[in-house]
Amino acid sequence: MTQSVLPTKWNERLYAAVLKLYPPPFRAAYSPAMFQTFRDALRDRTFSRKALISLVLRDLTNSLVKEHFAMLRETFSRPALLFNALVLTALATGLALALNTIPQQVLRLGANDPQIAMAGDLVARLEQGVSAAEAVPAGSVDLSRSLTPFLIAYDDQGRPLASQAQLNGKTPTPPSGVFDNVRQRGEARISWQPRRDVRIAAVIQRVNGPQPGFVLAGRNMREVESREALVGQLAGLTWIGMLGVILIGTSVFGWYTRPETAIQNTQTQ
Amino acid sequence: MATRTAPAAPLSPAVFAILLSLAEGEKHGYHIMKDAISPQGGGVRLGPGTLYGSLDRMMRDGLVEESGVSDDERRRYYRLTSLGQSLLAVELERLDAAVASARTLGLLPQGGLS
Repeated sequence: MTQSVLPTKWNERLYAAVLKLYPPPFRAAYSPAMFQTFRDALRDRTFSRKALISLVLRDLTNSLVKEHFAMLRETFSRPALLFNALVLTALATGLALALNTIPQQVLRLGANDPQIAMAGDLVARLEQGVSAAEAVPAGSVDLSRSLTPFLIAYDDQGRPLASQAQLNGKTPTPPSGVFDNVRQRGEARISWQPRRDVRIAAVIQRVNGPQPGFVLAGRNMREVESREALVGQLAGLTWIGMLGVILIGTSVFGWYTRPETAIQNTQTQ
Repeated sequence: MATRTAPAAPLSPAVFAILLSLAEGEKHGYHIMKDAISPQGGGVRLGPGTLYGSLDRMMRDGLVEESGVSDDERRRYYRLTSLGQSLLAVELERLDAAVASARTLGLLPQGGLS
């Protein structure tokens, strides 16, 4: 405001201060005129002081909210801005899904690594005529606790012949459908859940020759699943971070490219 | 610049009061405010925030414009555009039809309110 419009009375000073609550573009365009209108009303006395204060208070309450909402709406409800934000959000979501899915798949596939070699070696020995009791190394792996890879040999009907692993004091056996599948395809790599809280990365291979049957090499997936969960959390945090960057970027860009008030628009033409 | 669609009848009380006030000629903010609150202006209580917010939107819609003439650098004078005049005429016709209908239904005296 210029020197001549500096507020001199307390009510003018108060109103001039309250005008600073309006959105900056609106304030820049209209606060001198609004202040002058208020000053005119004070001096004209058409309105009693009480009526004017009541009118101005109600007006401030309504128009402050209205102008801030209008500013937000005009700043952010532009189709190009919203479309860009939507595209960026879709890209960020796709990237976060990829960050979640690809490492989890790599981890899961990697969980089969020692079992593939173990099962292959055991199949070779059994097909050479070595008995299951001799071919399966001695050992007792508690499936519910140990992360040590283990081997189990089954006969052609899927009954255990020799085992390194126990669960609840017994040698666990996969569903018969798994053996049917391996009988047709020669091998299956599955996530097997012999008990609700136990998941096994299992490689099952067919044994041919004089003692046909199956070999299962497995390993508890607890560690892999904990790493998968960590990857999921990191991907989720990355997604939230990207959404935050998009929100901030869109807000800043929207603010600096916001539409002008009608007055500013007229002045720039 | 976002495109806006000019308002159609029925108009908001603030827009109608401003259009009605400016129908007399160009006026500054406080003059419009006084006109609006008078019974002839519709008795609309327009504070400075509502007044200039409405004027801003009405200028964007092409209903009013600044006249460029002022007796004081802070007093802005506004006037109706031809679109504003047309819209006011449409609104007045609508209100006139509503009043005529109210008279026909016996809700208003035939000779008008005294």
